[in-house]
Amino acid sequence: MAFAKQSGLRRAKRLLPALAVAAAYAALPALGLGGYWLDVLTRANIFLLIALSLDLYSGTTFYLNLGVPFTVGTSAYALAVLNKYYGIPVEYGILPAVLVSVALSFAIFLPSLRVRGAYFAILSLLLPIIAAGLVTSLPLSLYLGGEGGIHYPRLLYSYAMSLPVSERLPYLRLSYFYISVAAAAIAFAVSYKVAYSDFGFMLRSIGQDELLAEASGIDTLRVKLVGFTISSFLAALAGALHAAMTPPVTAEVFVPANTLVPPLTAMILGGMGTIVGPAVANYLVLIVYEFLWGVVGRWRSVFYMSLLIVLVLLKPQGVVFYVYLRLRKAVAGMIGKIRRGA
Amino acid sequence: MESILACDRVTKRFGGLLALDRVSIEVRRGEILGLIGPNGSGKTTLINVINGVLTPDEGRILFEGKDITKLKPHERVALGISRTFQGMRVFPYLPVYYNVELSARSVLKDAKLARARTSWALTVAKLLAEAGELPVNLTPYKLKMVELARVLATNPRLVLMDEPFAGLSPEEIEELSGIIRKLNEGGLTFIVVEHKLRYLMRLAKRVVVLNEGRKIFEGSPGEVVKNEEVARVYLGVA
Repeated sequence: MAFAKQSGLRRAKRLLPALAVAAAYAALPALGLGGYWLDVLTRANIFLLIALSLDLYSGTTFYLNLGVPFTVGTSAYALAVLNKYYGIPVEYGILPAVLVSVALSFAIFLPSLRVRGAYFAILSLLLPIIAAGLVTSLPLSLYLGGEGGIHYPRLLYSYAMSLPVSERLPYLRLSYFYISVAAAAIAFAVSYKVAYSDFGFMLRSIGQDELLAEASGIDTLRVKLVGFTISSFLAALAGALHAAMTPPVTAEVFVPANTLVPPLTAMILGGMGTIVGPAVANYLVLIVYEFLWGVVGRWRSVFYMSLLIVLVLLKPQGVVFYVYLRLRKAVAGMIGKIRRGA
Repeated sequence: MESILACDRVTKRFGGLLALDRVSIEVRRGEILGLIGPNGSGKTTLINVINGVLTPDEGRILFEGKDITKLKPHERVALGISRTFQGMRVFPYLPVYYNVELSARSVLKDAKLARARTSWALTVAKLLAEAGELPVNLTPYKLKMVELARVLATNPRLVLMDEPFAGLSPEEIEELSGIIRKLNEGGLTFIVVEHKLRYLMRLAKRVVVLNEGRKIFEGSPGEVVKNEEVARVYLGVA
């Protein structure tokens, strides 16, 4: 918005630290990171899309969409079905799968025309549960593989098979990492741009007072619909990429504990509607969770969830964005001091 | 004087309660119309019906000759009808500037024009110094001014104000009245719902009185004060 509009040069300067972090992150494999931890980061990149999807819509409008696993899952299944029954390679099936999923996800949006708050949240949560039941029950289970899911060749499999055996897995790992980095970077840029645009402020106004937003001249239905579509696109892209990289696709993808709890935690810990906070929190949530395996083993879930509860109780408006703002202020203060000294 | 808004036999029911019973009023372009009545008489319901928050069960609303009965609130804002709310209603987590600019952007597609409109609205409401503040840091009077600025940013031709003087000191009421009067002299039409009759009677050119969902009187402030039925139902005089 105009009030805080900055010059192009100033905006470019502000982008530099973010670009430096992104470049350093993308250079991790070149610095020796590989194997299991590269897979963890790939998963974190894909989960970033879900966290952003949640934050962009639910974090701004406060329509808490707990139906995100439905979007993720239908996209994953659409990709698998397109490959298995229509012969479309997963490389070409990603975009159509995303579009199918976005279209189906309007089933989540419809209740928001009548209800909001807890009612919308509960209704949206029912959809992935119904979907999980449908894909594992007759007659759909015959078509969708039931509990075993649908098997298909993974992304870039044909090319990987042309490589020597020892190079196949490293090639796939590295390719998946960079594909997910590209998707995460684009998703972050789009989400940030949208969340802090005029349109993003309209989304926020709906979250703060929908009636007042409408009385201020905002077409709240259109704004919610557009916001929801962008948000669903991100979640669907996450689902399709995840399915393309880790076949088979099973009903596990619809289970909220798998595809909702980590990004939802990231959104709350990060600071709802801030985009930056949930993005950083997404990596912290997933990396710390994996790291704890080596420290406390099977107790990690108990330990980790307890930690999250404490953090949320201490700072319900989000820890990460708060720390980020404090850090930014401290760094700006230090730079100011250095400049004054010079 | 030309009519800007007409409510034609507007009826609104909430279950068994008849909130508005075939209410017909006409608002003339460039006037300040006062809307008074005891609590529960249907004033805010009428404002909600004119603004589009509620749809009447019967009757119709005409704005500048166009039937707007079925239009949504944001569509009415685009046509030139804007409102403030009973109690102060602002976006609590958006700075004052964004509270106002959102409204401007919703009706003006050109960002430059919207910024100019926002600056003008903030100037009229004397809020330039508070533009970067969050509403939580403002006094009740300043919050009222944020509402007014938000309304003005939509470039309205008819402004509906629901109890604008509630919670304000006499000095603040005088200041707000002065701003309303000045805007009215510039051609802006107002419907003002108010319980503080002393101030409203000095501001309004005409007054409509509602009681139990029905219009019981319409006339100049002087006529309203002298009317026996009004005195009986509204002022509690036997």
